[in-house]
Amino acid sequence: MSTSSTQKDTVSTHDGTPQITQQPVQVAKRLEKFKTTIFTQMSMLAIKHGAINLGQGFPNFDGPDFVKEAAIQAIKDGKNQYARGYGVPDFNNALAARFKKDTGLVIDPDKEVTVTSGCTEAIAATMLGLINPGDEVILFAPFYDSYEATLSMAGAKIKCITLRPPDFAVPIDELKSAISKNTRAILINTPHNPTGKMFTREELNTIASLCIENDVLVFMDEVYDKLAFEMDHISMASLPGMYERTVTMNSLGKTFSLTGWKIGWAIAPPHLTWGVRQAHSFLTFATSTPMQWAATVALRAPDSYFEELKRDYMAKKAILVQGLKDVGFKVFPSSGTYFVVVDHTPFGLENDIAFCEYLIKEVGVVAIPTSVFYLNPEDGKNLVRFTFCKDEETLRSAVERMKEKLKKK
Amino acid sequence: MEEKLSSVAKTFTPSPIQELSHLAQRCNAINLAEGFPDFPAPPCIKQAAVSAINNDFNQYRHVQGICDQLALKMNKMHGLNIDPLTDIAICCGQTEAFAAAVFSIIDKGDEVLLFDPCYETYEGCIAMAGGIPVYVPLDPPRWTLDPEKLMSSFTSRTKAVVLNSPHNPTGKVFSREELEVIAECCRRWDCVAITDEVYEYITFDDQKHETIASLPGMQERTIITSSLSKTFSITGWRIGWAIAPASAASAIRNIHVKITDSAPAPFQEAALTALSSPTKYFEMLRIEYQLKRDFCMKLLNSVGFRIQFKPQGSFFLFAELPKDCLLSDVEYVKELIRQAGVVVVPGRGFFHGKSGSDQPSDESFRHQKRYIRVAFCKTEARLCAAAQKFGELMNARGSPKLYC
Repeated sequence: MSTSSTQKDTVSTHDGTPQITQQPVQVAKRLEKFKTTIFTQMSMLAIKHGAINLGQGFPNFDGPDFVKEAAIQAIKDGKNQYARGYGVPDFNNALAARFKKDTGLVIDPDKEVTVTSGCTEAIAATMLGLINPGDEVILFAPFYDSYEATLSMAGAKIKCITLRPPDFAVPIDELKSAISKNTRAILINTPHNPTGKMFTREELNTIASLCIENDVLVFMDEVYDKLAFEMDHISMASLPGMYERTVTMNSLGKTFSLTGWKIGWAIAPPHLTWGVRQAHSFLTFATSTPMQWAATVALRAPDSYFEELKRDYMAKKAILVQGLKDVGFKVFPSSGTYFVVVDHTPFGLENDIAFCEYLIKEVGVVAIPTSVFYLNPEDGKNLVRFTFCKDEETLRSAVERMKEKLKKK
Repeated sequence: MEEKLSSVAKTFTPSPIQELSHLAQRCNAINLAEGFPDFPAPPCIKQAAVSAINNDFNQYRHVQGICDQLALKMNKMHGLNIDPLTDIAICCGQTEAFAAAVFSIIDKGDEVLLFDPCYETYEGCIAMAGGIPVYVPLDPPRWTLDPEKLMSSFTSRTKAVVLNSPHNPTGKVFSREELEVIAECCRRWDCVAITDEVYEYITFDDQKHETIASLPGMQERTIITSSLSKTFSITGWRIGWAIAPASAASAIRNIHVKITDSAPAPFQEAALTALSSPTKYFEMLRIEYQLKRDFCMKLLNSVGFRIQFKPQGSFFLFAELPKDCLLSDVEYVKELIRQAGVVVVPGRGFFHGKSGSDQPSDESFRHQKRYIRVAFCKTEARLCAAAQKFGELMNARGSPKLYC
């Protein structure tokens, strides 16, 4: 079969008669693995059984009024047309100011900040803009499900390092043997979904020196940075020698309980930002304008907003964690995010998916099976993830249902 | 660390349209370049968005009602039977719907046919997915499709044809005969049509927009992409969709979830209001844009242009520079900014050489540097101001001063 694309090519097998095919629209090979997400499946099952949803990671309470009002004002003021592709200037400025406050780093809002439709898009744009087919990328499992999908779209070769209970510490020796001069990038999520682990300064320093030694890029997903409870969040970009090789990604959704607004961003030095922006311009071109204006207001929220956010979440966490322990789960310590993972094996179900189905149908509570977050599903079969981004009454009701109906074997 | 950029990213250059906008801004020029309205969005749609925010529609969501309404619309407008539960993916604008569509069906090395001149974004998407763009030139001055040129562009590696109609930048609406030609090729070569129909409600005179999906044997091999942006003057809200056979729509949805996860929630709610606008809204949209088109044509004719192709749709006018103007498109545009304070887009950015090869320099490609694109999605006041500025370009003898 000829591989050139000159106009002279004709396929000798075609005799000009129309072809009748069953499925003319054939899906690309890269997608054969990707089906409906586990979150959607569990949510649908939850609705069917009237279960309390502690699975999907979005709040059942709404964002603060002052941010919503800013969006409304922007719509009324006519800010409804395309924003500058990489972000409304005022918003980029606010992002740079916030980044300086959080990390001490001074950056150029016009050259080093790119606004995207949520952190999900920041990740997709970073992968597609900076990863070549065949490049090696290191991931830590368990990982948020879009990482594997977008790496696969970029044609990357994934090397996976598993974080294990009870503390999900980084296995440094394994990392040292995995990383080499052939590694293009390493992707880190801290605070970490689903485990709630926060990468320590020591871990980050070790990773940093390995990256410098082997000239590796670092992609940081820091969406839960404001939900850091047991220790301070540390940005890799702020470590010596790291800013020039790091893409730091974040979003509005978790911090301001507005997950449906899709306002995210990537901060990186100009030569890396350029790649991110190219991909972004072909993925979504521009991000929702009125929401960017509202996000500008949100980022300038006083420190008291963030302190109250933490206090509220810590109270919710206490309810859930105590409740799960009382019910009989083995609960692993979670330092940040609004997630906690537990070992479900005391209840005698064969794996995480079976346990979650049982939990929905017989107990009326939703959790997420963690096997979907691993390259090798076997690694997650004992663990499930609960979220506490729900109002206190909902959390208490869920705990009550579990106490009542979930019995150890 | 430039070597860290992906090879695909390195081939991309900054958008010439955006660069000119920056120059225009610096010179405080009247912007007839960028394709978005400078007039407000319809009040009831804005109000719907405001209500949605107030009523706490602010978390991740999928608003099924949009799919239901789109299915109804597609049936009413085109006679298509679409299953709202399986055949539609809601995305962040038509841009994302198109990107997801391309990623859903294009494998590395697949060829994708595009009609030239062409909106600049399609190629980038196709390249990102590992596909190879192949250009089929439309013939000036009326941008007609030559069936021979189309048929000879198909190879065993052709996977899809991209069809943007009504067309940016020319304002062409592909005729039924042309759609038949494209459809026949798709059926014969077992290819997919990916359409961009964002200007579907902006057609003029008696022109009606037809989707290629409504032709025999095409619905099962067409992915339609479109959005609210141009129809409702809300280009900044990012609500678009892909309509396709269930297997493709499902793949597109799955990819969309990995790229952005969800389109902005409150605007999905407002989309319900937008999509249930009365027929009168769409009639007024056409009438108003037609008036603007006519005004623009008159304006250009008064400064020496002879428009050979009257736009049949979209809000763009693609005008060839007057014969006695010796400037290239880029030179003309720069002079226009400096001397008249008006910015338009040089046409060359929409043209591509054969199969992505170097800049064409011979006579048959000379026309590629002789067009400007004018956007008339602007208020009457702005268009009048532009007309006045153009008028100032005429010298005492009644000839445009711009040419040397």
